[in-house]
Amino acid sequence: MAEGVDFDSLVARHYEPLYQFAFSLTRDEADACDLTQQTFCIWAAKGHQLRDISKVKTWLFTTLHREFLGARRKQSRFPHVELEHATAELPVISPANVNQLDTAQLVDALTQLDEIYRAPVALFYLQDYSYNQIAEILEIPLGTVKSRLTRGLARLYQLLSDKIKS
Amino acid sequence: MNRDEAKNILLLYRSEADATDPQIASALSFMKTDSDLREWFEGYSAHQKILCEKLRKISPPPGLLEQIISERIALAEKNSRRDKIVASLAMVAIVAALVIVAGLYYPRGHGPAAPDSFAGYESQMLNVAGEGYSMTFATNDLTQVRNYLAQNKSPADYTLPDALEKTTTAGCTIQNFMGANVSMICFTTGKPLPPNHPGDLWLFVAPANALKDSPASATPQLAEVSGMSVATWSRDGKFYLLATPGNSQEVQKYL
Repeated sequence: MAEGVDFDSLVARHYEPLYQFAFSLTRDEADACDLTQQTFCIWAAKGHQLRDISKVKTWLFTTLHREFLGARRKQSRFPHVELEHATAELPVISPANVNQLDTAQLVDALTQLDEIYRAPVALFYLQDYSYNQIAEILEIPLGTVKSRLTRGLARLYQLLSDKIKS
Repeated sequence: MNRDEAKNILLLYRSEADATDPQIASALSFMKTDSDLREWFEGYSAHQKILCEKLRKISPPPGLLEQIISERIALAEKNSRRDKIVASLAMVAIVAALVIVAGLYYPRGHGPAAPDSFAGYESQMLNVAGEGYSMTFATNDLTQVRNYLAQNKSPADYTLPDALEKTTTAGCTIQNFMGANVSMICFTTGKPLPPNHPGDLWLFVAPANALKDSPASATPQLAEVSGMSVATWSRDGKFYLLATPGNSQEVQKYL
């Protein structure tokens, strides 16, 4: 059981990466703060049910993602996205051009991705999570993670290319 | 594999750790034979590194840490107030339940329960099941349960009804009734368990002579006592009491 975990040290250890993930999903500081805070509130109420203490970080990310999806569901239904088409031809972008973009522009591009691609791409870049860990956090099969990452990264690449051109 | 397929796969590559993935390993291997793909990949990797570095610069606004911690303290205080109200309501409910139980016992003709009577035994064991107990031996293996009870000189040569034999056990413990050991075997029915309860179906086995008036019927007699569905029967010098929360018929499916 996770009853022995000190709440304050848990927050201190994980609130920054959780906020980064929340911000990459919402692109809104207030929403990201709310999501991060709500995640720890849920931990305070239900964290003792977690049996494997080594899964705390994964549990927090999964919870934050569920909260994000829950909030979004209240606003609108997800558009259906066809995943079977091959990735379009990738544009060529030089690293120097990418370097010109600032963090805000990158987050802006990230949040233009469809929601089903945004979370895996954010976890891919922000946390160095393995594909298996991303699958566990998002509660989707490994093959789906790879498929969404491939399409999400290709789409992000395209969006960045457009930003650089403009 | 062609170049476009390899590109799609290599989009997933971040570092050496990802090279253990068979698809990526295969694409990396293909890249060695394609200089254009290698050139693209070098540019893409540099671009990935920059993206990672820039995105990781996202930082929480000042004060978020303190806000989360203070919110939790406020929540704990609110919960504490709520718990006190719930505890008061629970106390009222317990008193009401006791009044109802007392009312139920008189019509059954038991009168005030003598300590070594069937009613006294039933009351004590149902109280243990409902109020809590410590499981001294936790296991899902009924054979181990039997061995443990035998080693601790508690009734172990009992016969389980077929349906109960197929029910998952959570372990056992030993109760004492008028100086006699009573085997208490806990089972789980698959319904959500109440907090701090390792089981929700309990079989008590006592030597029949521990009760002054143990019912002699070998056919289980069903009753509802204090919100518990109860079956009692005697066989081969032992007295059995099986209980689970619910109405009088609830326990029948385990017989």
